[in-house]
Amino acid sequence: MDSQVDNLIWKLRRRQIVGSRLTAIETLLVLRQYITKAKFTTIDQLIQKIKGIGARLVAAQPTEPVVGNIVRKVLHHIREEYKTAANKPGSSIQSSAFSLRNFVVSGQPRHQATLQKTEARDHLTRSRSDWHHDNHAESLKPVIMEAIQDIFDELETVYESVSKSAKDHIHSDEIILTIGKSRTVESFLKAAAHTRKFTVIVAETAPSYGGKSTAKALASAGISTFLVPDSSIYALMSRVNKVILGAHAVLAQGGIFAVSGSLMVATAARAHSTPVVVCTGQFKLTPLWNLNNEYGSADIENPDAVLGFDEGSLVDKVDVVNPYYDYMKPELIDVLITNDGDHPPSSVYRLIKEAYDDADHEL
Amino acid sequence: MSPRLAPPSVVAAQTISESSPIASPPFDIIAAYRRILNDDSISMPVAAILALVELIEFSAAGTTFELVQALTDGAEQLKSRTPNSISLSAGVELFVAFVTLFPHESDSFDDLKAELVSEGRKYAQEAQTYRAKIAEFTFKFIKDNAILTHSYSRVVMHALLHAHKHKRISVYVTEARPRGLGIKTCEALTALGVPCTVVLDSAVAYLMDKVDVVLVGSEAVVESGGLINAVGSYQLAIIAKAHHKPFYALAESYKFHRLFPLSQYDLPTHTPNILSFPRAPASTPPPTPARGLSSTNLGHPPPASASMTSDQLARNPEVDYTRPDLITLVFSDVGILTPSGVSQYLVGMFAG
Repeated sequence: MDSQVDNLIWKLRRRQIVGSRLTAIETLLVLRQYITKAKFTTIDQLIQKIKGIGARLVAAQPTEPVVGNIVRKVLHHIREEYKTAANKPGSSIQSSAFSLRNFVVSGQPRHQATLQKTEARDHLTRSRSDWHHDNHAESLKPVIMEAIQDIFDELETVYESVSKSAKDHIHSDEIILTIGKSRTVESFLKAAAHTRKFTVIVAETAPSYGGKSTAKALASAGISTFLVPDSSIYALMSRVNKVILGAHAVLAQGGIFAVSGSLMVATAARAHSTPVVVCTGQFKLTPLWNLNNEYGSADIENPDAVLGFDEGSLVDKVDVVNPYYDYMKPELIDVLITNDGDHPPSSVYRLIKEAYDDADHEL
Repeated sequence: MSPRLAPPSVVAAQTISESSPIASPPFDIIAAYRRILNDDSISMPVAAILALVELIEFSAAGTTFELVQALTDGAEQLKSRTPNSISLSAGVELFVAFVTLFPHESDSFDDLKAELVSEGRKYAQEAQTYRAKIAEFTFKFIKDNAILTHSYSRVVMHALLHAHKHKRISVYVTEARPRGLGIKTCEALTALGVPCTVVLDSAVAYLMDKVDVVLVGSEAVVESGGLINAVGSYQLAIIAKAHHKPFYALAESYKFHRLFPLSQYDLPTHTPNILSFPRAPASTPPPTPARGLSSTNLGHPPPASASMTSDQLARNPEVDYTRPDLITLVFSDVGILTPSGVSQYLVGMFAG
C-alpha cells in the first residue's frame, strides 16, 4: 500500500506526470487505493494517516498545488460523511457543544441539528473525545468510496462542465485573445465554436511556444485563428473583445498562477478595459497564499530555451532565468469560469471555505 | 489603542442602582468593567464581555427576555461612559447575540445562567490566545523588511515581536497625535531590540517608498470589510495604495462589528462638534504665530505655544474609517481573510 504512495512520490519528483488534471487523477487513484486497504478504528485515525500521506506528496512536488487540493477534498468529504452519519437520529454521537467560539466561526446553531434530548449536564460534558470511541468508522468506508467516486466524476467531466456556458460568454464576430496551452480553454472555445462564429488571436508564448499547439488545435476545429508573437499583444489589444486565459492554480486571495506572459496580457487588457476571463476547474482552487513569489514565479524552466548553451561565451557572464508561471493579482481578473459556475475573484474565499476544511489548509 | 473609561463626574454607584431595576443587590457594571481592564492584556471588548458575565451572575432575571434586557441596559451604561465605544459595542453585541441564541435544555433558568457564565469566561480565556494566533498568521507574510505601523496596538506588538525572533525587521511608527501612542510603541520595541523610530504623522508619504509592508491594529472591522482604527489609519492606507504597498489589518474575531459606514461621518463616534468651526470671537487670544517662520530663526524649534488648544483638539476625530478596497488582507484568529470575507462571519452570527 505504501509502495503505491512511494511510486507516486517518485513520479511527482521526476515530473513524470504533466498537467494538473492528470496529476489530480493520479493522486486520487492512490488515495482511493489507500483507503480501500486502510485499517482504522476511528475516523480521526484515518484523517491523520491521509494527512501524513498528503504532506509527503505535497513535499514531493510543491509547484503542483493540485496534489494538496485533492487530499484536502478527500478529507473534507470524509468529515462530511462522518458528520451526516453522526447526526442521524438514534446515533450515539453528539455534535460538539455550542460555545461562543463556535458561534463566531460557524454562525448560529443550525435549527436542523438534532441534539439528543439528554440530561442537561451531559450536554455540557460531551466533547470531541467522542470521536475516539465510535464504532461507526469502518462502516463508513463504502460511503467514503462513493464520495471519492464523485470527485472522480467531477475530474473526468471538468472540460465539459466548464464549456457548458461557453456560448453565453462568447458572441458572434467577437475577437478573443488567449495565450499558452490550456486544455480547458481549448475545449471552452471549441464548444462555443459549435454555435458561434468568432476569431481567436493566440500569442505564441515564447519560449515554450505552447501557443503554437493551441493555434493548431483551434484551427483544426474550424475556428478562424491568428498566431502572433508576444510582443504584439499590447498593440492588438484595442481590437480584442475578451481575453480568455487558463490557470495553473487559483490562490486563496483570488489571484492565479498562469503561464508566463499572462500577466502581460492581463495588464494590457486592464489598460484597454477589456474583460479578462479565466477558465479553470474547481480542483485548482488552493487555500494557499502567494508568499514567496511576489515578483518571481512558482516554477522555473530550462534556461536553454532562452539563451542556448551554444552561445558559449555568454553563458558565463549572463544569469538566465526562464520562469514558467506568472502570478496575477485578483484585481486583474474579472471572472473565473469553473465547472461549478462563474465567480468573481472576490468570492474565491467562500468557494474555498465550502470545498475544504480549515484544519486542512496546512497539511 | 482607544482611551479607557473616562472618570465619572458624579458618584456612579447610586445612579446605576436606580437605573437597573433587574439587578439586586445593585451591580455596578462600570466598576466591574474598570476592575477587569486593570489587566493590561485584556482588550475592551473582552472586558465588556466579562463585565456582562458578572452582571448575569448578579442578575435576578427569570426569563431570557429579562436577562437580555438587563444585558442591553448594562451595555448602554458602558457605552455612555466610554468616549470611544466602537470595539466595546462589537464585543457586547456578539455576547448578547450569543445569549439570545443559546440553545438551552436545562430545566432551571439558574442552570442556564450558570452555563452562560462559564461559556463567557471560557471564551475570555480563549480570547487571550488570539493574539498569538494572529501573530502566527502574520509571520508568513513578513520577510526581512521595513514595516510601518500606526499608534499602539497590542496585537501588532505581538506580531512584530514574534517576527523579530526569526527575521530581521525594522519598524517605523507614526507618532499618532494627539495621544502620542506611537512613542509608546517605539519605546517598547526598542527595549526589546527591534530597530524602531518614530515618524511624524505628516511624514508618512515621504517615508512610504522605504516601507515594504504596513501593519495596523484595529478598533473594529466592519461589515463592509473596512477598518475602524485610530485616526491616521485611513491616511496610511491611501498612501500605501498609491505606492502599491500591502496594507494589512490585524483584528481579533470579537472585533467584527455589524456596522456599514458609507463615509467617515457615518461612524457612531462622529459628533457635530467634530470639524466644526469655533464661534468667533474666540474667548482666548489666537496663539502667537511661530517665530520659527522668520528667517533669522531658521533651525530653532517652534515655541511651546505653537500647539493645539484642548478646545481645538476636541474638534478632531479619534478614529477613522478605512475603506475595504484599500485593505489588502485582514488577519484574524478565524483565518486570513480578504476584506469581503469578513462579512461572511457577521452574516453567520447576526443574520443566519
